[in-house]
Amino acid sequence: MLIEAQAVAKRYGRDWVLRDLDFQLAKHEAVALVGPNGVGKTTLLRVLAGLVRPTQGSIKLVGRVGFLANPPAFHRHFSGAENLHYALRLDGRADDRAEIDRALKQVGLPHDKPVLSYSSGMKKRLAMARLRLQNPDIWLLDEPEAALDVQGRGLLEDLVNFARASGGVVIATHDKSWLSLVDRVVELRAT
Amino acid sequence: MQLARSNQTNRLDSLTLGILGLGMVGAGVGFILAMGAPPDQSQGFVARIFHMHVPMAWMAYLASFAALGYSVAYLVRRKAHHDRVAAAVVEVGLIFMALALLSGMLWARPTWGVYWDWEPRLTTTAILFAIYVGYVVVRGAIEDPELRAKAAAGVAILGSINVPISYMSVKWWRSLHQTQSIDLTTGKINVDAAILIPMLINLAAFTLLFIGLVRLRSIIAAREAAREEV
Amino acid sequence: MRHLFHPGSLRRPFTFCTQTDSLSPVQRIFWLAWRDLVLEFRGRTGILSAVFFLAVMLFILAMAFGPNPQDLQKAAPGVLWVALAFAGSLLAGRAFGLEVEDGTLDDLLLTPGSREWIYFGKLLFQFSLLILVGLVLLLLTAGLFYLPLQNWAWFVVVLLLGSLGYAAISTFYAGMLARLRGREVLLPLLLFPLVIPVVLAAVRFTQGLAQGIPVAELSDWLRLLAVFDVIYVTVCAMVFPYMLEG
Repeated sequence: MLIEAQAVAKRYGRDWVLRDLDFQLAKHEAVALVGPNGVGKTTLLRVLAGLVRPTQGSIKLVGRVGFLANPPAFHRHFSGAENLHYALRLDGRADDRAEIDRALKQVGLPHDKPVLSYSSGMKKRLAMARLRLQNPDIWLLDEPEAALDVQGRGLLEDLVNFARASGGVVIATHDKSWLSLVDRVVELRAT
Repeated sequence: MQLARSNQTNRLDSLTLGILGLGMVGAGVGFILAMGAPPDQSQGFVARIFHMHVPMAWMAYLASFAALGYSVAYLVRRKAHHDRVAAAVVEVGLIFMALALLSGMLWARPTWGVYWDWEPRLTTTAILFAIYVGYVVVRGAIEDPELRAKAAAGVAILGSINVPISYMSVKWWRSLHQTQSIDLTTGKINVDAAILIPMLINLAAFTLLFIGLVRLRSIIAAREAAREEV
Repeated sequence: MRHLFHPGSLRRPFTFCTQTDSLSPVQRIFWLAWRDLVLEFRGRTGILSAVFFLAVMLFILAMAFGPNPQDLQKAAPGVLWVALAFAGSLLAGRAFGLEVEDGTLDDLLLTPGSREWIYFGKLLFQFSLLILVGLVLLLLTAGLFYLPLQNWAWFVVVLLLGSLGYAAISTFYAGMLARLRGREVLLPLLLFPLVIPVVLAAVRFTQGLAQGIPVAELSDWLRLLAVFDVIYVTVCAMVFPYMLEG
């Protein structure tokens, strides 16, 4: 198991966003997380990523977590290549330029334009390149299809297939077309 | 489970009332004994303020230690109870600090001729007072209970560690206070027994009052938290 | 690697890169500080406004104390450290301000390993900024307030030790308040009472230097600064990981 979460609950102020939730992710598994807005999909992903401490419950994780936020965040004054470069360095990895060039070319992005000038679709592509370079074991994708064009969507599906082959994926989504591509669908209901 | 536990810490128990009552009786007895103590050779009757000032200052530093302990306990154990007690300790401690500062100033005027003196203990208490005002302000500024508890714990831990450092730095900077009444390092007591006994009674009474008030404040905070959860 | 994670446990979900962990934590600290410095100088707003703020502040203080050179010289050490403390509170927000503006704090928290290194990286960044501003300030005070710089090496030593102590606390609080509204107001409120010993010791040492007192007689102040630095860097690094969780 890559993720074993038991009886997870999260409260913001008076409101319980998650309540008594169990969740597992096996290796080579792709899971879609569906449910209406405000049901706690993003919160669950953030709890699983270790970004939010649950109010109750326990989580066991095996391996490095990669998180595709919606929208993804980058340093505006850095170019795409610089963002990837520092992301790898802070991960504790020595990168080589060729690797970054290849990743950028793969997602069809320019090398040295500052992220300031990126559209939201380009940012999503850059986030995909970053995730691919980080190559985590647990891939948590929050509405990954948002802002992507047809070609970007194809790249995303490739990425999900790669992620499933190398680890496990959780996709929080409203897009019904993912349902046929994943192994399991988890539906969150309002508490 | 949550409800059951909050009920337990929610009740105004007889122990708290007992401690508060005993503290008040003790403070009354201490006050009468202090008023009966012989006047100081050099300072005269003014020296009697010492019976209020020293126990109050003592409480201020007791509060600092207690806040450190409960804040560390909160970060390690994550029990909301520890956070509430730490907050109560700081709030009650602030009152004693304010009283210690005020009584110190009132004492300084007839003995040193000025209301304020940059004396190490007085200055350290003032710094600690400012830090704990910051603690209360930070608590007021954060709505999320867990974020609030964590940030408050951070402030309390750093603030308490700061006490000996502030003291040392101000002591080196300037010192013209009388020597400490009970020297903790040698155990030598340089106060007459007629003054010492009422002082110790006052000390015990104020400690009881402190514990009772902290318990009372924690119970109120637990009730507030329980109401917020529903 | 397996890690347990539940409230009430000391541990957080550490996650490790299973493949090539080729950089040591110390290297990562340097990379974080370096990245922030590059970003800061590319954005320019923070450091430039701090320096101009200082210049204007020194002018006003010089008008308040001057124009008699003896008076100015007497006030110089105090002016130096008061100005640095105020500029430091302006710069303190920069340690995490860059992350908050771009929304990249989460990505930093997702990096593998425990989070102490983030504190040290940000501390190094803050420290470098303070040293840079402090050196400019030292020259300005020497020019405007006639602070004698014959013993310049000792001025640099006290600047280093004082800035480290200041940065240790300002980085801690900046991280703690990073996600909160009103952090610009709260930060100085929390910071100033805590840095009093640092400013006090640094001012005293600088005053002694300016009056030409031998360093041997002043070394107590340096020792106090060093002890302060060690205690605060250690405690802040230990508590900081708890402050950062969302």
